[in-house]
Amino acid sequence: MRPTKSDDDALVDLVDAVLRTGAVVEADVVITVADVPLVGLKLRAALAGMKTMTEHGVFEEWDEAHRLGNSEAAGERVE
Amino acid sequence: MTETAFDEGRYLYCVAPDGDESLSTTGLDDEPVRLVREAGLTAVVHDCGSLYDSDSATRIRRWILAHQSVVDDAGEAFGTPLPFQFDTVIRGDDDAVRSWLDAESERLTDHLDALAERWEYRVEVVWDEDAARDELEATDADLRALAERRNDADEGTRFLLTKRYETRLDRLLDERRRAEAADLAERLGGEATELVDLGDRSRAGLDVGGADEDVDVLARFAVLATDDEREAVGLLLDDVAADPGIEVRFTGPWPPYTFTPELDGGTDASDEV
Repeated sequence: MRPTKSDDDALVDLVDAVLRTGAVVEADVVITVADVPLVGLKLRAALAGMKTMTEHGVFEEWDEAHRLGNSEAAGERVE
Repeated sequence: MTETAFDEGRYLYCVAPDGDESLSTTGLDDEPVRLVREAGLTAVVHDCGSLYDSDSATRIRRWILAHQSVVDDAGEAFGTPLPFQFDTVIRGDDDAVRSWLDAESERLTDHLDALAERWEYRVEVVWDEDAARDELEATDADLRALAERRNDADEGTRFLLTKRYETRLDRLLDERRRAEAADLAERLGGEATELVDLGDRSRAGLDVGGADEDVDVLARFAVLATDDEREAVGLLLDDVAADPGIEVRFTGPWPPYTFTPELDGGTDASDEV
């Protein structure tokens, strides 16, 4: 089984990863509001229409760019 | 929101090992992405004067994808980067970024070395909980005894026995799920550099619905793996998915978001187990 980054599951994981994790710096020099509750609140609304957005092409550019790099990874959803 | 006003700042996507490579890409809102180099490190940034915050779902989503896209590009150019959380902004100009890189160089370099040639993958295993419940009901001696007693009981006793039956069934099911998740964690962990059990932690924003809301998740993991380890994990997942009651989702490669450290050595804001 090969991993995929081009379907809806992958998008959900990506959004989760970018918002919930990643290195966090706490120093005077750094400004951040990316604490989870704040972003999470907005994201709840943001994700409601994710599939619709995919259909309407919002993700296409990103998707295509990354599909090229992962052309073998299509359809890794195994029942 | 506090402390959002500043004159000049640098939005920080990631820090990567320095190299000769250049990076020509645009980031959030098509801002030109630049490299700031210091102490053998490359910070991937763009100039900004405010934090990124919006009520618009579309904008937020575009930002997240743009953020990830830049980190991906940096990864291709420089090797595994240390990705920063969305909306991390360094106050000041390039000199401020250089000072920060210099001050943190030892820790940043150590972390980058540990992550080199490794990427993050996410594994979600969905099981057929109804089938597991049926099996427990058919095979657990205590459950069967309770069921028999319940059939012969008067109404009040029947109510109590039903409660006991359900409590035991729920507990057995939970024990079974935990045992299978632990077994999976051990097997997967044996193939990967590192594994984090994401447990029942909901994914950010997932609680708004979606087609998969009603699936029964057996386990979720983030694994850190080299290419060889990824192959091994994939083979293992083929075995796991061979069970008709099991569905496996395997995504990546992602920058090692889950395996990045807290750089202040303070509180854990990433909810890792």
